[in-house]
Amino acid sequence: MISENGEPDSPQPDAARSVSASAMFCAPLCAAAGGSVEVPLTGSLLMKPGLTMCVCARPYRASGLSWGITESFGAGIHALRSSQLTDVVINRSKRMMLDTLGVGLLGTRTDVFQKALRYSQLFTSEYRSSIWGRSEITLPPYYAAFVNGIAVHSMDFDDTWHPATHPSGAVLPALLALAETLPSRPSGLDLLLAFNVGIEVQGRLMRFSKEAYNIPERFHPPSVVGVMGSAAASAKLLGLSPSQCSHALAIAASSAGAPLANAATQTKPLHIGNAARRGLEAAQLAAMGLEGNQAILDMNRGLGVYYNDYSPSAMPDCATNAFKWILEDQDVAFKRIPAHLAMHWLVDAALSARAKLQETIFDLSQIQRVTLRVPPSKYINCPLPTTEHQARHSFQFNACSALMDNRVTVASFDQDQINRPALKELLSKVEIETPADNQPSFDNMYCEVQIETAQGESCTARCNTFYGHWRKPLSQEDLVEKFSLNASSVLSAEGVEGVIDVVGNIEKVSECSVLGSYLRMNSNAHQQVYGMRTI
Amino acid sequence: MLSVLQKTTRSVQAVRGVHQSASQVLKHRPQEETVTASFGRFINEVKPQHLSPVVLQRSKRMVLDSIGVGLIGSTTDVFELALQHCQHMYAADYISSVYGRSGVRLSPTLAAFVNGVATHSMDFDDTWHPATHPSGAVLPAVLALSDMMPASRKPSGLDFLLAFNVGIEIQGRLMRFSNEACNIPKRFHPPTVVGPMGSAAACARLLSLDPSQCSHALAIAASLAGAPMANAATQSKPLHIGNASRLGLEAALLASRGLEASPLVLDAVAGVAGFNAFYEDYVPQSLDTPNDGHAFLLEEQDMGFKRFPAHLGMHWVADAAASVHKLLVGVGPGKFWSDQVQDILLRVPRSKYINRPFPESEHEARHSFQFNACSALLDGEVTVQSFTPWAMSRPELHALLDRVRLEHPHDNPANFNQMYGEVQVTLVGGDILKGRCDTFYGHWRNPLTSESLRKKFRSNAELVLPSEKIERLIEVVEKLEKFEDCNDLLSQLH
Repeated sequence: MISENGEPDSPQPDAARSVSASAMFCAPLCAAAGGSVEVPLTGSLLMKPGLTMCVCARPYRASGLSWGITESFGAGIHALRSSQLTDVVINRSKRMMLDTLGVGLLGTRTDVFQKALRYSQLFTSEYRSSIWGRSEITLPPYYAAFVNGIAVHSMDFDDTWHPATHPSGAVLPALLALAETLPSRPSGLDLLLAFNVGIEVQGRLMRFSKEAYNIPERFHPPSVVGVMGSAAASAKLLGLSPSQCSHALAIAASSAGAPLANAATQTKPLHIGNAARRGLEAAQLAAMGLEGNQAILDMNRGLGVYYNDYSPSAMPDCATNAFKWILEDQDVAFKRIPAHLAMHWLVDAALSARAKLQETIFDLSQIQRVTLRVPPSKYINCPLPTTEHQARHSFQFNACSALMDNRVTVASFDQDQINRPALKELLSKVEIETPADNQPSFDNMYCEVQIETAQGESCTARCNTFYGHWRKPLSQEDLVEKFSLNASSVLSAEGVEGVIDVVGNIEKVSECSVLGSYLRMNSNAHQQVYGMRTI
Repeated sequence: MLSVLQKTTRSVQAVRGVHQSASQVLKHRPQEETVTASFGRFINEVKPQHLSPVVLQRSKRMVLDSIGVGLIGSTTDVFELALQHCQHMYAADYISSVYGRSGVRLSPTLAAFVNGVATHSMDFDDTWHPATHPSGAVLPAVLALSDMMPASRKPSGLDFLLAFNVGIEIQGRLMRFSNEACNIPKRFHPPTVVGPMGSAAACARLLSLDPSQCSHALAIAASLAGAPMANAATQSKPLHIGNASRLGLEAALLASRGLEASPLVLDAVAGVAGFNAFYEDYVPQSLDTPNDGHAFLLEEQDMGFKRFPAHLGMHWVADAAASVHKLLVGVGPGKFWSDQVQDILLRVPRSKYINRPFPESEHEARHSFQFNACSALLDGEVTVQSFTPWAMSRPELHALLDRVRLEHPHDNPANFNQMYGEVQVTLVGGDILKGRCDTFYGHWRNPLTSESLRKKFRSNAELVLPSEKIERLIEVVEKLEKFEDCNDLLSQLH
C-alpha cells in the first residue's frame, strides 16, 4: 500500500481485500499491553502466546515485492551489529561521546539546567538514572535524559553535523539514562553501537530534504531528527524487534518539531532535552506494544510535515557487510567556543583581522566601522544581544568580543561581559553584509571581517574553514583538553581522568554503567579558571 | 455568586449594545504590543465576570461530555498501555486522580497524560470549528493541576471554569490565524498544535502567572507542539491529546519557575519561524484585553458533540445511511436485503485519512467513511459496539464494504461547517435509495439537547462509575460555577 507516492492510505489494491477480513482482528490483539512477545516470521507474520497466528502485516510485505522505507529503518536498527563498526566510526563516535560529556558537565552549571532540574525533581521512580556531575541526585530515566540533554545544549557548545543538526545531545543522555536501568547491563560496545545507530538514523533522515542542508528557518533540526535518533538508539539498546523499532520511530515522530523562534532563548536547550527524553519514551512505549503508523517515514503527512521538499529513501540492507555508516564519510564539527557554529568562522576571521591591524597600531577607539560578510540567516543576526542565549546567536557580538578581547571563551558570555559599555559602543559600528556567494550552509559558508579606522586604514580577513570544522578537525589533544577544561568545572580530577579513560576504551568496557560512576565524582571546590582558557 | 452572574450578563449586554471604537481599544492596549504579549496579558487579566451565561452553559456541557468520554475511554487498550507506562516508569505519587481508577493517583503531568489519552482513545470527544478537539487537551490538565493545589487553596468552581474557558479560547484564537485551518487537516493534527497552547494557557491562568510568564508558557508549549497526521487512525493518535494536555501543563509549570522562551513566538517573523512553522498561511492577530468587552469565541461558535465514537465526518455519512436503512428494512430482514444491494455510492468530501475501504483495526474503523456508512446501513445506527471485533468481522458487513464506491463532489468541501454526506444504494433490481445529511444531530447547528447529552454521559460513565457518582457528577457540573471549591468535582471522577 505504500506504492503510490508513499501514501499508504490510498484505496488498497485487490490483493489487500483478500486478507482484510482476517486481518481485522489483529491490531487490537497485537496491541494488548505487556507480557506479549513478538516473534517476527519472515517479516510478515506475528505470533503471540495464547493467540492464533494472524496476518497482521500489510499484504505487500508478504509478497516481498515492496519494501517500505519505515520498515527498512526498523529492520536496519534491529540488524546493525557492533562488528560493522569500523575503526573510523568507532574513533569518531568516541570523540563525539567525550565531547558531549564534557559539554554536558559544564552545562550543569547553567541557569536553564537548574530550572529544568528543579522541575524534574517533582518526579521519582524505582528506576534511577544519574545526573551528570551530581552524585546526590537520581531521577527517573525520562527526566535524567531530559536534564542531561538540556545540559549538553545549554551553552550551544555541543557538536554539529552536516546537514545541520546537533546529533549527540539527543542520543547519549537517553542511552546513559536507559543503560543504568536495564537488567541486561549493557557493555560499552552495546552502548557504542546504539549510539551510532542513533547518529546514523539522524544522518539518513537529514538527507531526505535538500533544504535541510542549509541553516534552518522553520523547525530546529535536533527537535525533528533528534527525537528520531533517540528513539532508534533506545530501541537498539532495548533490543526491540524490527516492527517495534518502526513503531518507535512512528511514535517519536508525533513528538518531533519545535519552531526556530525559540532559538537564542532558554527554551532552545530544552529542544535537545526533549528530543532525548521523548525518543526514549517512544521506544519504551513501542516495547510495551503501542503502535503508530508503520509508514511514518514514507509519507508527506508523516515525517514529511517537517519539510517542504521531503524525499525519503530506504535504509540500505544493514545485514550485509557492504553497509557504510554516514559518519565514515561525514565527520562532525566540534566547537571551540560555546556559541552557534557559524560564529566560529566569524571569530577566526575577526582574530586574523585584528592581528593584521595590530601589525600597525591597534586601538579600539580608532575603529570607525566593522563590516561582517556572512551568510543570510536571520536568527543569528542579532545586533544588540541582551542575554547570554542571544549573544551565542549573534554574529555581531562574537565579532566584537573577538576584536576587544583577542579571544572568545566560555567567560565571554557572562552577563557582565555582555553588558560592557565599550562592547556596546563597538557593536554600534558593526554592519552586516550577506554576499550572494555566501550560502547559509555549514559546508559552504565563509565569514569575512573588514575593519576600517578613522585614519582611513582598512584590513580584511576571511575564514573559510575554522579549526574544529569537519574539514579541519580538532586534534585528539585539543579535544581531550576541551573535555578536561569543561569537565573539571564539575568533576574531581579522578572523575575527569576516569571518563577520558572509559570513553577511550569504551568498546572494551564490560559494563557501560562504569561511566556513570565517574560522571558522579564531583569536585568539592569549583575551579573558575576554565572559563578564560582558549583551545 | 448570583450577583456576579447578573453583573456578567449586564456587562455582556453593554458590550453588545455599544460598538467599541478603535481609540477605546487602543487606550487599553500598549502601543506596538506584540501578538505574543497580547496573549500573555489576556490570560493574566481575564476574570470570571467575563464569562457570559451562554459561555458558562456551553463550557459546562463540554466539561460533562469530556468527563464521560474520558470515563469510557479508561476501559480501552491504549489507555491501559499509557497508564501501565506511567506506573511502570515512575514511583507512586499520590497527587492527581485518574479517570475511573479509585486506587490510583499519579504525578500531575502524568495524570493529565493518561486522562488525555482516555479522552481521545475512542475519538469520542468534542470537535470545534475550525477543526480541533479542544476539551481533551485542557480538562485533564486543569483537573490534574487542581488536584495538585493544597486543600486550602483549591480553585473555586468558577475559577476552574475560567481556566478551562481560557484554554478553549486560546485554541480558537490560534485556529483563526490560518484559513487552511478551517478545513479538515492534512499535515499536522490540530490538537497537537493548538492543544498544548490551550493547556498551557489554562494552567497559566489557574496558576495566576504574570503576563510575561503567561506568554513564556505559550512559547515553551510551542516547542512541544506538532504531530503529523499520519499517526491518525493508530494508537498514537490518542497520545496526541494526552501529550497536549501533559506538555501544556509542563510548559506552565516551567514558566512559573522562570524559564523563558521567544517573546515573538506567535508573531510572524520572516526567516525565523515561530508558531507559523505549523501553517502555510499564517496571519496572527492580537487579543484585545478582556476589559475591552472581549466576547469568547464559544459565544459565537458552539461545539460539536459526537453521538458515537468516530471521527466527526462519520456522523454525516452515518445519519444519511441510517435514513436509507429505514427504507431498506421494508424490503426484508437484514440478512435478506444485504444480499440485494448491488452498489453503495458515498458522496463525501475528499480527505485521505478518513477514506479507508477496509479498515483493519478499531482505530482505522473510526476513520473510515466506508465502515461507518455500512455499519449504519446494516444496523440503523453506529454505536460504541459497532467497533468491537465481533461487529467489525461480520460477513454481511464485509459484503456491503465490497460494494462501496466514493465520489467527491465539488460542492462538498472537507470542512465541518460546509460538508454533507450522501448515501445512494442501488439494489439488484435497479431500485435506487438515497439518504442525505447536511447537519447531523450533535453538530453545532443542531446541538444535542441537555437530555441527549446527559444520556450520552450516563451510558459512558456507567461502565466505570456507580450510578450515585454519575448523578452527582451531572449535578456538580451543571452548577459548577456555584461551588466554593472544585473538590466536589475532583472527588467524583473515580
